[in-house]
This record gives sequence, C-alpha cells and structure tokens, in this order.
Amino acid sequence: MTTHPTPTLISRYASGDAGVDETTIWAVEAHLESCAACRTVLTDAVDPGTRDLLDRVADGIATAIATGPPPVRRTRLRRTGVAARILPWLVTATGLMLAAALFEWTFDSLPSLVLLVAPVAPLLPVAAVWSRRVDPAWELTATMPRTGLPLLMRRTLGVLTAVIPVLAVTGWFTGHSPGLWLLPVLGFTAGTLALGTVLGVDRAAVALAIAWCAGVVAPSLADGRLPAILTDSSLPGWALTTVALTAVVLVRTRRRPHQPHQNLMH
Amino acid sequence: MKRSLDGLDEGELLRRVARGDRLAFDALYRRTAPWLTARLRRRCADEDVVAEVLQETYLAVWRSAGSQAQSSTSGSAVGWLWTIAAHRLIDAFRHRARRERVPPVQTFETVAPAAEDEALADGMDANLERALHALPAELRQVLRAMVLDGLTARETALLLGMPEGTVKTRARRARIALREALS
Amino acid sequence: MMRTVSVAETAPSTYPWVVHTEKLQVRAGRHLAVNELDLRLGTGVHGLLGPNGAGKTTLMRALATVLKPAGGRLTLLGGEVTGDADLRAVRRGLGYLPQHFGFYPRFTVREFVEYIAWLKEMPKAAIPGAVQRAVDRVGLTDRADSRMKTLSGGMLRRAGIAQAIVNDPAVLLLDEPTVGLDPEQRLDFRELLREIGLDSCVLVSTHLVEDVAVACSDVVLISEGRLVWQGTTGQLTEQGGAGDAGDSATERGYSSLLRAYRGRVSA
Repeated sequence: MTTHPTPTLISRYASGDAGVDETTIWAVEAHLESCAACRTVLTDAVDPGTRDLLDRVADGIATAIATGPPPVRRTRLRRTGVAARILPWLVTATGLMLAAALFEWTFDSLPSLVLLVAPVAPLLPVAAVWSRRVDPAWELTATMPRTGLPLLMRRTLGVLTAVIPVLAVTGWFTGHSPGLWLLPVLGFTAGTLALGTVLGVDRAAVALAIAWCAGVVAPSLADGRLPAILTDSSLPGWALTTVALTAVVLVRTRRRPHQPHQNLMH
Repeated sequence: MKRSLDGLDEGELLRRVARGDRLAFDALYRRTAPWLTARLRRRCADEDVVAEVLQETYLAVWRSAGSQAQSSTSGSAVGWLWTIAAHRLIDAFRHRARRERVPPVQTFETVAPAAEDEALADGMDANLERALHALPAELRQVLRAMVLDGLTARETALLLGMPEGTVKTRARRARIALREALS
Repeated sequence: MMRTVSVAETAPSTYPWVVHTEKLQVRAGRHLAVNELDLRLGTGVHGLLGPNGAGKTTLMRALATVLKPAGGRLTLLGGEVTGDADLRAVRRGLGYLPQHFGFYPRFTVREFVEYIAWLKEMPKAAIPGAVQRAVDRVGLTDRADSRMKTLSGGMLRRAGIAQAIVNDPAVLLLDEPTVGLDPEQRLDFRELLREIGLDSCVLVSTHLVEDVAVACSDVVLISEGRLVWQGTTGQLTEQGGAGDAGDSATERGYSSLLRAYRGRVSA
C-alpha cells in the first residue's frame, strides 16, 4: 500500500498555497501523476476560480472539436506504406518462383528450376528496400540516427519473411529438401549485404543475380542437370558461407557504425 | 452511460476517445483537467496562458488519440498527458518570449514541512526527500524541470528564463549535491 | 514518472558554435560545389543567400550529413562529422528539409511524421504528442490525416517542415522552405521560424531575399562555394547604395555585395 498525501495537503496544493514547501510539492506531483484516487480528491477540492477556468476551456474545446476533424483510428500496421512500396518487387519474386515451379512440374526433363531460381528470388525485393532510386524519402532517411545496419536488417528480415513462405510452398510442391533452397537463399542474402558494404545494396544484388544466372543457371540448363553446389553434399558449404558472410557484414558495419555515407545507403 | 465510464481507467477512456467517443473524452477531461491545471499553475502565473495551454493540450489529445492510444501505457498513469502539456507550455513561453516575458511563478521561500505534510508519496523515499530539501532553491528548480517535468536543458532554459549553460551547470551541481547527501 | 537525466545531457557545451566549418570542401558529382568554406553559426535564424549554383544545396546536404565532405572540417553540435565518427548523437539533434522533399504518397501526414520521429529515435510514448504539435505548428491540423498524395504543393512543403521540427532539433536546416507557400502561409512560417530560432540554430536557404530580410536575424552570402559575406540583416541593408539593383534595401545590399565580390575575384 502506498502512502497518499492527505486531502488537506492536496487541496493546499491545488489552491496554489505558497506555504507548502517545494520538496513536498514535488512529491505530491509525482504521486498525482500515477494515482487516480488522489486526482479525484484534487478534482473535488478545486476553488471556484479554477472551476470557471475549466468550464471556459471546456467550451473552447467543444467549439474546436465541432469544427475540426474527429480522431482517426490507427491500424496496428503502421509502417505498411513502406511494405506497399516494395509490393511490386515481392509480387515479381513470387511470380518468378511460381513460374519456376510450374516449369519444373511440366518439363521434368529439365534440372530443378525451383532450386536454380530460389537463391536469387529475394534479391530483387532486398535491392528495392535499400535503393535510393526506389525510396522517395531516401535523402531524409540518410540523415536519420536510426539508419545503417539495424534498419537494413529490419527491412531485409521483412523481405525474407515474405519470400520464404512462397519458397516453402514451391519447395514442398516440387518435393525438394528444405535445406537445398533455404540455405542458398540465406547465403545470397548475406552475400548481398556483405557486397553491399562496398558497392551499395542494390548494385550488389543485381551483380550477384547476374553472376549466379551466368555462372550456374545457364550452364546447368545447357547440361540438363543440377550443378554439384545444389546437391545435399554442398549443404555444409552453404551454411559456412552464410555464417562467414553475415560475420563480414557485422564486422564491416561495426567498424563504421553510423558513417554518413555508408555504401549500404547508396 | 456515464455510470459505465466511471468505472474505467484513463487508459481505457483514451482508447474510447480514439474511436471518436465524445462522452469518454469529456470524462477524461473532467477527471484529469483539474490536476493538469493545478500543475500548470504552479509553473505559470498567467491565467490566460494556462487556459490556452490546457485547451491546446486536450485538443491535441482528441486529434491524436488514435496514435496516443497505441503508444501510451494503459492504466491510470497520465504522464503522457503532462508531457503534451509541458511542451505546449514551453511553446507559449517561446511565443511570448519574443515580446514580453511571461511572469514565471516566483520561487517559493523554502519553508519547513509541516507535520501533516510529511506523509509522502511513493517514489520519493525519506532520504531523497531530505536531500532535495537541503538543495538550494535555484538548483532544485532546475532539477524539477528536468527530472519531474521531463524537459530538456533547452526547454528548461526557456521555462526558467535563463541561459542553457546555467541550466546545465545547475543540474550538474544538483546531481553532485544529491549524490553526496545520499551516500 | 520521474525521468532519468543523463550525464551527457547536462555536460557543459564545449563548443562555441553550433555549426562550424573550416575550409570545408564538398563535391557535387565531380565538381567542387563547396570550396574552402569557413562558416560559424550560433543560435538564431540564419538566411543562406547566393546566386543559383552557388553551392547552397550542396552545403545544406553536407550539413545534414547526407554528403561526406571532401576536405576540411565540419563540426555540428560539437561533434566532428568529417571522419568515421558515430553520427547517431549528432543526427538526433538535426532537422532537415531537403530541396526535393521525397515522401511516401500513401502515408497520411501523421503517419509520415510519426515514421520520421521513429527514425529519429524519439521515445515511443512521446511520439504521438510531438507529431500533433509539429503538425499544429505548421498549420496542417485539419489535414493531418489526409494522404500525402492529396496535398497541394504548399501543404507538402509544410508537411516537410513538420517532419523536420518534430524532434525539436538544435540544428534545423531548411532548403527552400517557402516554395509553394501563399503570402499568408509565408507570414505564419516566418513567425514560426523566429520562435524556433530562440533556442535553435536555423539555417534557411532561399532565393527570396525578402524572406531573409523579414525572418532572419543573420545572413550568410555565398558564391561559387565560398563565403562572400556574413552579418546581420541590418548590416546587409546598409551595404546597398542607390545605384544597386533591387527593389528593397535588402536586395540592393545583396547585389552590391555580390558585385563587389565578383570584382575582387576577377581582379
């Protein structure tokens, strides 16, 4: 049970009695802020002058409310606008994966397109969340304290949360082991961020996507079979690469935590 | 309807205000405005300024209730309401500072606490209270603005009408004095 | 609810100037748009004047920590911006309205300013009140919950000012803030500037000499990336003679100073 100030003290406080010493006022104020019961005591103790003032202000408020807009209820999803902006890119990535699954299902003579395309599927939306060309408020964002790695990580995780379920569905549909698409996806995302500290995230994403298509996708389509790096035996390699690249990102950004012109931003 | 509102805490009232409930808003005003007025009056002697700040504060509550209801803690604590009012009060001081100084409330002569005043609130133990009491008035005034009212050094400077450097110096001296008194 | 006052908050300000540049060089593309600029700004409203291409926007972007200086020193609120320094603390005290204010069209004004307040790392509980106050101060109260794509040019500019002032910045940088404002809004805006300038350092870049004459206490005149002249608004009006171009004493002072500077450079 907390100690409440006496009603007399509260009423002396409310009436502006100069005889109450300052330390006591301090204590009373700190208490009133959190105690509804004592605020009620105070409400009953106000002098007629204050009552007048309160009624006058209430009238003023009523007039202003009558002419102004009502409160607008907010939805929980406050920053959906940012998500909406990259929606086209997410849709593209999803479409790509679905098309790959369809192809794989139709032409079973081809190597698994789902596995070939999966690693680069999240790269487009990742590039989009961190591109000055796509983000209209880029210039402002660049001047904010909450910029750099934490914000990039947040947005990247957002993209992954949106893309991974699609991959899971297509992966399940075509019957591949989850590790074979999940680990390359994580590896490529980490790689984009790592390379992004040098080139800028959007350029890094495009560069990696092109490299993967030219170096792996095209040859394996020509050969008609999956490359060795997309078989079960290469899983430890993917896991190690992902961990190493994540470490690179953390180290590089730790060394220059909020550098103004971090390449991450460009 | 009024009956049902009486049982609600301020946090719940705010959530109703966010849905555009005028009755809930009026109930919130009836319950908190006397307290807010008393507190503002202890910081500003000008009745018109107090009325203006009060009106702006509650209009701000009405208009931003949708966001406010999400971020304010629930329950009956109304610190968020004071934060809004304090900033509006500083704005009023800013407004007038360019023309004429608003007469700030005079710093009270320190008087010894009467016996009945000694029953004190939670969050202030007897040691801290004694230490505060021993502080020179000008240090306590700065501490009150920054710690109790949650103002920044710049805002405190405007409220008390002194340079920001003085505010910082006094806050440092107050901190040292308190630390010594409490150890 | 008692607040903890941090040691940093009450530390004495060891810097004499809020904004201080020494031989600052900033590139815009390959071109050195700010060239060895020395500038010292304290509390107050400072007008940044100069002909087109003088480097006003580049200077603003460097002060806002968007562009990295190519040389020299830049100190904001006592923190060095030039090196690999941690800019977080400095950035919390900044407000910036870019010349081209990019925004999210589907956001309402309130949502956008709240988002910026979050990016500025303001305490979560303080954000709704601070946003409402910023919106009220720029006179957008009635449009606070309108989507930004439905606003007129002048309203967007005011929304831009609202996001810049939401954190009560100690350094406020406004690049062409009066573009699109009608005469009445311009008057309100000047009043707001004067109030903010009581306890903050405000730098307003503008091509309207008249804005400076009325709203600013000091004038900074730059040309070709260098400081041409710095002084009070009153001193600026004294610079002009009857023979100088311009419709007002301020404009005549402006053109007289620029002419004299060009004479010195070409000589």
